[in-house]
Amino acid sequence: MAAATLRRLPALGGRALGAGGRQGTGRPGSWLHSVAGGPGHTPRLEDWQRCGAVCLQRAATLSREKNPMESAFAQLLEQVELEKSLYSDHELQVFEDEEKIRWRQAEDYDSEEEEDVGQDIVTAQDLEDMWEQKLRQFRAADREQEADKKDDRSTLNRRLDEKLTLLVKEKVGDEEIWLLPQSEWKPGETMRQTAERTLSALSGRNELQAAFLGNAPAGFYKYKYPKAMRTSDTLGAKVFFFKALLVNGDLKARRKGDYVWVTKSELKDYLKPKYLRQVNRFIFDTAAMYP
Amino acid sequence: AGNNLASERHYRSMPTHGIGKYKYLLPREVPRKKREKLKMKQLKPGTDTEYGVLNIQLNGYDMTLVEHYIQYIHRLCNQLKIRVEESYAMPTKSTEFSVLQEQGTKMNMEGVIQSHERIVQVSGLSSLLAPIVVEVLQTNQPEGVQLCIKEHTEADFNARFKARPELEGLMAQIN
Repeated sequence: MAAATLRRLPALGGRALGAGGRQGTGRPGSWLHSVAGGPGHTPRLEDWQRCGAVCLQRAATLSREKNPMESAFAQLLEQVELEKSLYSDHELQVFEDEEKIRWRQAEDYDSEEEEDVGQDIVTAQDLEDMWEQKLRQFRAADREQEADKKDDRSTLNRRLDEKLTLLVKEKVGDEEIWLLPQSEWKPGETMRQTAERTLSALSGRNELQAAFLGNAPAGFYKYKYPKAMRTSDTLGAKVFFFKALLVNGDLKARRKGDYVWVTKSELKDYLKPKYLRQVNRFIFDTAAMYP
Repeated sequence: AGNNLASERHYRSMPTHGIGKYKYLLPREVPRKKREKLKMKQLKPGTDTEYGVLNIQLNGYDMTLVEHYIQYIHRLCNQLKIRVEESYAMPTKSTEFSVLQEQGTKMNMEGVIQSHERIVQVSGLSSLLAPIVVEVLQTNQPEGVQLCIKEHTEADFNARFKARPELEGLMAQIN
């Protein structure tokens, strides 16, 4: 990194070279814009605690229900298709059988004239009745799960038609806040490995299997610690979010009240506004497109 | 000479008719074989920031869902300016199943289910777009359709051809 070597040169002036002066960012090229040594502490790269967080998402298992316009149109299309269609083989067979029966019951019926007697054990109409009966015995599973009726947000088995994201409650500073699972970065590992470590720390062995998307973070959030918590080294934390898609498994190792699976619209019930604003930038859901 | 029509066309009776012909002097050429074996296009390997050639495979029992989904994927790639090399279908696989009932008349109810497979071949997917595309595909995946994204190999290319048992028999006899 060229800027790191430049920072060490005494001729270019010591602390004023900090990472961008008052802007407080760690970008290497920003020493050009630095304000020459102000009275206060110019934030440096080392002031921020770096964390990797994982945004674990379960995709929707069912497709969304049609809204009124969609269902009306679908019905119209079905009706058009039905009226334009031709008879299928089975239906033609049914008509033929009906003809035969009528012919047999006519007055001038001569049983010797009948050509093939032995073939009518199972008529097409009988088949159709059997199939109808089978269909009536079949019951489709419910779209609305139990967890939906009780509004139990900690199971994975809720809202099967929407994407769910995992949120955990952590104690940060003095208060307990809801956030995406995160842990601190240790030197020597990549940020993505931090996120993977967070995931495995949540669940224990082989419980949650997830596929991480890409090596680059999907989002970023920066916050300063309240004055009480700031030490000389840490001003705040920078969190890098990584997206992962849930393949298998569920969280069992944690206590019941500590984690929640939520949809995008329910995020605002749990997250703080600034955090929510950054998180909303990379969590997308198609539910909002079709009200 | 000849009939009336022939005498109307003068060139054949001219003494210089056929003066430029030379092909009869050259040695006879053997006619070339009509079809050559289809070779696979050279596969571009992936670089650090781009994937090579990827196969997006869809499998499902319901043909309408599979077909509509593949059309959606194709249009999405067009819009995102991802180069779509090919989009083809693998042959349908039929599975027969029978339910034997043994109550009096032994009825053998057979059903046939068909499984459909469609493949979109995509090349040059950049690593910026890849996670987004994967997530979008997963979000919009219909029920009953399985999505699989793999790299394209020679074996995949050869799987599209029909097996030729006589040719293979003859080759085995030669070797």
